[in-house]
Amino acid sequence: MMMIPPLSMLAPLVLLAVAAMAAAQPGRRPGHLPRLSELAALASLALALGGAAQLVAFGPVRVALPDTGAGFALGLDALSATMTVLVAFIGWVVMRYARTYLDGEAREGLFHGLMLAALAAVLVLVQAANLPVMILAFVAVGIALRHLLLFYPERPAARRAAAKFSIVWHAGDLALLAATGLLASAFGTVDLAALATAGSAAAAQGALPATAHLAVAALVLAAMLKTAAFPLHGWLTEVMEAPTPVSALLHAGIINGGGYLLIRTADVVQASPGGMAALVMLGGLTALFGAVVMLTQSAIKTALAWSTVAQMGFMLLQCGLGLWPLALLHIVAHSMYKAHAFLGSGGAVRAVAGLKRPGPVAVPDIGAVMKSFALALLLYGAVATLFSLAAGPKSPQALALGAMLIFGVAYLVAQGLADAAPAALTRRTGLAALGAALAYFTFQQVAGALWGAQLPPVPVAGPLEWALIVLAVASFGLVAFAQALFPLWAHHPATAGLRVHLANGLYLNALLDRLIGGFRAPASR
Amino acid sequence: MYLKHDQITPARLSGIVDAAAHAVPPAFPLDATVAVNPFLGQSDEDLATASARLARVAGAPLTPPRATHAAAMAEGRITDADLLAALDASTAPDKPADLAALKTAAQQGGAPAKSLPTLAELAMAETGTDWPSIIDRTFGLWAAGQFDRGQALWTPAPGRDAYAAWRTWASYDLTPEIAGLAGFCAHAADAPDTPDRAILRASDRLGLTEDAAGSVFHRLLMDLGGWAQHGRWLSWQAELAGGTDDTPAQLLAIRLVWEEALLAHAPQIGAQWADTLAAHARPVVPSADQAVDAILQEAAERAHQRRLAAALVGATEAAPTRPALQAAFCIDVRSEVFRRALESQDPAIETIGFAGFFGLPLAHTAHGSDVVEAHLPVLLNPAMHSTSHGTAQGEHTARIAARATRAWGRFRQAAVSSFAFVEAAGPVYGVKLLRDALGADKTAPGTPSPAPRLDPDPGPDAKAAAAAAALKAMSLARGHGRVVLLLGHGAQVTNNPHESAYHCGACGGHTGEVSARLLAALLNDPEVRAALPAHGVDVPADTLFLAGLHDTTTDAVTLYRDAAAPDHAEDTRRIARWLKRAGAAARAERAARLPGATAQDIAARAVNWAELRPEWGLAGCAAFIAAPRAATAGVDLGGRAFLHSYDWRADDGFGTLELILTAPVVVASWISLQYYGSAVAPVAFGGGTKLIHNVVGGIGVVQGNGGKLRPGLPWQAVHDGDALAHDPLRLSVMIEAPQDRITAILERHPDVRALFDNGWMHLFALEDGQVAARYRPGLTWAAEAAVCSGPGRAA
Repeated sequence: MMMIPPLSMLAPLVLLAVAAMAAAQPGRRPGHLPRLSELAALASLALALGGAAQLVAFGPVRVALPDTGAGFALGLDALSATMTVLVAFIGWVVMRYARTYLDGEAREGLFHGLMLAALAAVLVLVQAANLPVMILAFVAVGIALRHLLLFYPERPAARRAAAKFSIVWHAGDLALLAATGLLASAFGTVDLAALATAGSAAAAQGALPATAHLAVAALVLAAMLKTAAFPLHGWLTEVMEAPTPVSALLHAGIINGGGYLLIRTADVVQASPGGMAALVMLGGLTALFGAVVMLTQSAIKTALAWSTVAQMGFMLLQCGLGLWPLALLHIVAHSMYKAHAFLGSGGAVRAVAGLKRPGPVAVPDIGAVMKSFALALLLYGAVATLFSLAAGPKSPQALALGAMLIFGVAYLVAQGLADAAPAALTRRTGLAALGAALAYFTFQQVAGALWGAQLPPVPVAGPLEWALIVLAVASFGLVAFAQALFPLWAHHPATAGLRVHLANGLYLNALLDRLIGGFRAPASR
Repeated sequence: MYLKHDQITPARLSGIVDAAAHAVPPAFPLDATVAVNPFLGQSDEDLATASARLARVAGAPLTPPRATHAAAMAEGRITDADLLAALDASTAPDKPADLAALKTAAQQGGAPAKSLPTLAELAMAETGTDWPSIIDRTFGLWAAGQFDRGQALWTPAPGRDAYAAWRTWASYDLTPEIAGLAGFCAHAADAPDTPDRAILRASDRLGLTEDAAGSVFHRLLMDLGGWAQHGRWLSWQAELAGGTDDTPAQLLAIRLVWEEALLAHAPQIGAQWADTLAAHARPVVPSADQAVDAILQEAAERAHQRRLAAALVGATEAAPTRPALQAAFCIDVRSEVFRRALESQDPAIETIGFAGFFGLPLAHTAHGSDVVEAHLPVLLNPAMHSTSHGTAQGEHTARIAARATRAWGRFRQAAVSSFAFVEAAGPVYGVKLLRDALGADKTAPGTPSPAPRLDPDPGPDAKAAAAAAALKAMSLARGHGRVVLLLGHGAQVTNNPHESAYHCGACGGHTGEVSARLLAALLNDPEVRAALPAHGVDVPADTLFLAGLHDTTTDAVTLYRDAAAPDHAEDTRRIARWLKRAGAAARAERAARLPGATAQDIAARAVNWAELRPEWGLAGCAAFIAAPRAATAGVDLGGRAFLHSYDWRADDGFGTLELILTAPVVVASWISLQYYGSAVAPVAFGGGTKLIHNVVGGIGVVQGNGGKLRPGLPWQAVHDGDALAHDPLRLSVMIEAPQDRITAILERHPDVRALFDNGWMHLFALEDGQVAARYRPGLTWAAEAAVCSGPGRAA
């Protein structure tokens, strides 16, 4: 038994202590506060790593205040440790960035305080051991983020974005509250570990009470609202009104909350085939929708926001397929990538200027694209066989997901197969494709090893699951194929209207604006 | 039709549209941006008149708040004498009667600049729907795609004119209809098929008269912000190449189609619109308040001139011995600090100031690149072609690497493959985050590219002619030291969309590396050296020309040892030592001005990806001095003066003087006025806060989610958080040359003369390094009393 509590649970306290100091210095150039903020974030990263070390050394722990088991309970296990380290790492990078970036702002001190508070709330969220703590943390994140989105309150667009965010986010909180009540009535507990046990028992019996089905529906709804899934994704594509570090924290730390909620309640969610099917369909739709809209966006941060919509949809799809460790892997990988992409978005001018330098892009024709798909599937077959031999057979869901991803790799191969592409380029893209396939399977293996034990196994595919698998693979394959042939049709007059509608995100945001008065003249104008 | 009016004829209208388009300044894309005078279209008017015009069409103030001047008066920085002189010089009919009246006015608030409303604004007030911001959003989304240079994978069909492309877009875009403007898609689809006809029809429907139309068009173009200015840049480029381009008129047509629709949507605003038109039709006359603002601004400039004149105490004795090092710098104000620091290292060091393209008008293709970049002031057309291409094998390797990287980038961006990218490569970004957070990416400076060369090679005689012309223009035809250092400049910055704004404006927003290396290579070429005397230039056989690049963020100098120079090995080592020490001194001086900087950590700003103020660029620029260095040597000009080396006694026929007045002086005025505009009218002419910049289309930035493109300098480039880092002053040009020669040149160049006559710059003649006379509008001069030097020499 361990005498000291997990260090990672102290991380939010450190952050809040410095956040409290910000209240005294909310203004410009608040002395040592920016440096202290970064140090606090660094300390919380160290504590998170310490917690992970304790997990390895002593195993999972649950700590509750008061010591009755209920109330404010935090847990340390493989899932929470992963997320705590991830969020603390991103948090440190973002706070270090903000130390320089915010220098000289009129509300500099306040910014650091709010960021630290948001970060602390996310760290509580990912360590929550029961649903009430999670709800509290979600609400706190929402409040802090709303204030951050209003960092320039004089901007009408910022006020509009903050209003949309608050509505959707707190609607998610209400959905989670409802889910919590329903779960309590179905299973008599709101503790995450107890729910996991009860959920897997119910799944084994094959019968979930009706209230539990409703609870899963509410959980799925909450997750979809919080991950900006179609059709209420609009709030996420407008939050560039806040300084860049906010976007980085939001897209890399906060947006994951919904996915993490599902992963934490995976045993219960997986017991509801309807909930899983909804995740596959809406997640898959959101993924494709977001990815296609992203193609039309000429503003870097806006394109990145649509990319987040798509990536979160893909993560929901993975959840719906029962590939829970892969969903968590996607959260980790996406967070790192997206944090970097936002913080480095100022380099876009240089990047675009560099695009034309090495000459025109070689455009693959239909033949080359067919060939690339065949090659990619061949590559996939070889790599998948290799990994199956080494690590045991894969579920149909995992194989299907791999196929979807390999369609993407085919695009890389296709670029090297274009007639105008020299052999050296073909070699390079081929190697990159091989590298991507190997890396993908390796990370999958690692994810299974790290988190598989704590998450339910992939469900046995029945008729519903198979139908969904075929639907998903077919639609991703179709979009990937169209994408590879993209230069051949994208500028055809027949697609002009499609492009306009997609660039506008199919107007869902405009409709929401109309609904909440986002088109009204601002009072101060 | 609710208004009876005389329709404007198409021929007249096209002239009015053209004039309105030229009233808007061009905004250069950020990949190679240069400063532009935001008041380019108003240079035929004085400050007060331009204030009145831009207040009307943009709501932009053209002078700092009165409180700024009042504070300067209270602190004694602006004296009664300055105020009186400015008051006397003013020709405003309703100017304050006397000094006391002026001082009283300075304590009052002044009138805020308020623009005349557009129909969108009137419709907003009437219907409660925020039409201006809906136009900003929908127009911005369309324009971002239309002018995209490859940022999005799915851009609109290329090669279509803006107006035609917009009509297609708007006939599909449902956003205006969702916002409540029923039938807008049909309205756009049914709009006239050419921009000319659209403008004609809208002019009719809006009841525009000839008197009002130009002002209304200017108002609407300003309403489009940077998009109109990007359009003006497209037409600028076309005009420079001898062609035409009517993108500004096309954008105007689009905006007018909107106005038509909103007038039809809310016809009850007709009466207000008629009043607005009447206001537009009135001639632009400055108010008494604007006249006072202009006088106070002039007083602030006179105060600066007084301090500058006091610092210029006359030419120092030139060293009689041959210099060990002659270092030629760009005239850029940032060179002034470094030149002083370098000269203080050793009396045998001499420095020279010249435009950083060193007189070579280059169109250049870089290593591994097919793109031709113009490395010259944007007023000129390239006349020479150069390349840094290496061997065929080396080029091939570089291109394959770049193309593979590009293919990987498309893999990251494209639908479906972006998911595979994140799964396969996402975790690697953890390492990248760590590396960039610590500023540990050492790949940025990289190995220098292969040495540039002229391509095609024009032959030794043509090369000698070009090299000799460059040396003569630099007043360097004779008296060369053992080493002549040609220093270009550029700024190493990380993750900064405005990177090119920190580079050399004389090199078209690129670094000066190519120009400096190419001229040094020309001058070290034995064939060229042999041909130089025929072009009237004598260079001693033992003179080595050495190229370098001054990094204005870190004050480190990279030397390019392109030519083998075994005899100069010791010289080069010594020069490297001097440069290193000078860099340390310059950093120490600059650190005092940069918030949160110390001399030790200033270089780290170059690699910090969160740094918004890597250096100050040309902020603070206030003076341009063309004189022998002896006139300014040893004077601390605070990094605020462009220094152009010029010796009129060596200028046969005053060809160099004419060049200086028509090229570097004009470019300097553009820079000074861009800083001025970005500081006093940041909403109309500034780039907005960098904290919410969103790079769009590879050409510019928008704020937050989208909307207007923002031209000009970001707020962080002119403001340090506490106060403006750029004191908005119009440039004081001081030239050591006979007054009648200057007058004669101005007479031949009415555009340049207009800049001085209308007060966009001040002009002074120097004699023996001291201010002798002030230019007065109308080609006259007024003698300036010699000023006694005060205790401090700092200007």
